[in-house]
Amino acid sequence: MTKPDPAIITAELIRLLQEELDVTATPETNLVDDLALESVQIMAFVTEVEDHFDIAIELEALADIHSLAELADLVRENLDS
Amino acid sequence: MSEAQADSAQNGSTPVDLLDKFAAIDAARAEMASHGEDPTRVVLDGLISPTEARSQGRRLLLAGTNNYLGLTFHPDCVAAGQDALARFGTGTTGSRMANGNYTGHEALERAFAEFYDLPHAMLFSTGYAANLGVLNALVGPDDAVLLDADAHASLYDGCKLAGVPVYRFKHNDPASLDKRLKRLGDRARRALVVVEGLYSILGDSAPLAEIAQIKAQHGAYLFVDEAHSLGIYGAHGRGVVESAGIENQVDFVVGTFSKSLGATGGYCVSPHAITDLLRYASRPYIFTASLCPSVVATVHAALDVIRADDSHRKSLWRNARALYEGLAAAGFALGPECSPVVAVRHPDRGAVIQAWQALLGAGVYVNLIVPPASPDGGSLLRLSVSAAHTPAQIDELLQAFETHCQALRPAR
Repeated sequence: MTKPDPAIITAELIRLLQEELDVTATPETNLVDDLALESVQIMAFVTEVEDHFDIAIELEALADIHSLAELADLVRENLDS
Repeated sequence: MSEAQADSAQNGSTPVDLLDKFAAIDAARAEMASHGEDPTRVVLDGLISPTEARSQGRRLLLAGTNNYLGLTFHPDCVAAGQDALARFGTGTTGSRMANGNYTGHEALERAFAEFYDLPHAMLFSTGYAANLGVLNALVGPDDAVLLDADAHASLYDGCKLAGVPVYRFKHNDPASLDKRLKRLGDRARRALVVVEGLYSILGDSAPLAEIAQIKAQHGAYLFVDEAHSLGIYGAHGRGVVESAGIENQVDFVVGTFSKSLGATGGYCVSPHAITDLLRYASRPYIFTASLCPSVVATVHAALDVIRADDSHRKSLWRNARALYEGLAAAGFALGPECSPVVAVRHPDRGAVIQAWQALLGAGVYVNLIVPPASPDGGSLLRLSVSAAHTPAQIDELLQAFETHCQALRPAR
């Protein structure tokens, strides 16, 4: 199976953010600075992302994630090729 | 705070100086103290009883001490501590691995093993060190930890010290755990599921029977932190592992002496023979001084008390029910189940801080919990009930919330 295009993953993440946390985002949105989310809210959101894409994301990997685009890259890395 | 530090805190810019990062902490601390006292710096001048103290010349009713069984002034514990202090001195001045291994340590380990009817037990210098020490020795970069999302900071820190990959699952959600173990595939057999018996902020217990069943299906291991449930749950006080009926399915039980047993220190018990080898691989066990003999003696006496006498446990639950049901009837939003930890929840951080200050002003001490320490981004006042609370003190707590915490009632 070919991995989906990053833009498709990003669009899906934007939809999930709206659905789970009722916030509007763009690919450049910084999850902490722009959305004023607490770290626990971001971790809870990533748990939803894991279930949505059926992937496992290591907690440590989240330390380098700031923007939605970076989260999309991380999701893509973890999808089976 | 310097002007540059204040500016960095205000506009969120990247710190340029080593000390800049403390500006944000200072701002948060100032907010909490803005309506009166600093919640993190309440000083107790003296203790009147396990549930009352003197602070700045006033009497405080204590409802945030985790002194669940009220044993801190039990005559057996005080006498045992005084005797050990006189016979062994003030401290061990060394690690168990060097000069700090005393007969009291060995005897307390045997007592804990006997209490749990398990072959292996190990002491640590604090409950925090117990979680760090077991995880540090037990798991590594080639293993995996499945961690409940609401787990205590010491469990997160233990995983970090171990360098183990961590996968969080939704709080108290066995299906979420099952999905993540499935995703690990064959690696599940090298996975450790880490949960708490009773969660310390909302006071909700773990569905351990379901969790144990899932870990067994995947061939994983189970670690349960009973810091807030030792002495409280189960017919013999062995925690939620006992009340859930999974004592023969748990691999590692870890806990603390600083709550129900009224002292300080931590322990691990296990059916696995490798437990004794953890001593040789656990940095928080090897590289720190052992527990003071007097502390070991008070803990041993407290353990004897809870093994011989369940009246403290019964009093605790009577008080917990009275407080939880009273606050629920008054319309406050609480945690999901009745337990000795009672959380009064509200989404407005400022309102919760003001309520905490009003309660303290009225002579009532509870815990203030704000993000990121709270699990859902909201804030809360946390009460911990004690067996030593009198019915009149429970009524005093209910009346204080009625009088000073109106703003925390959800709109109807």
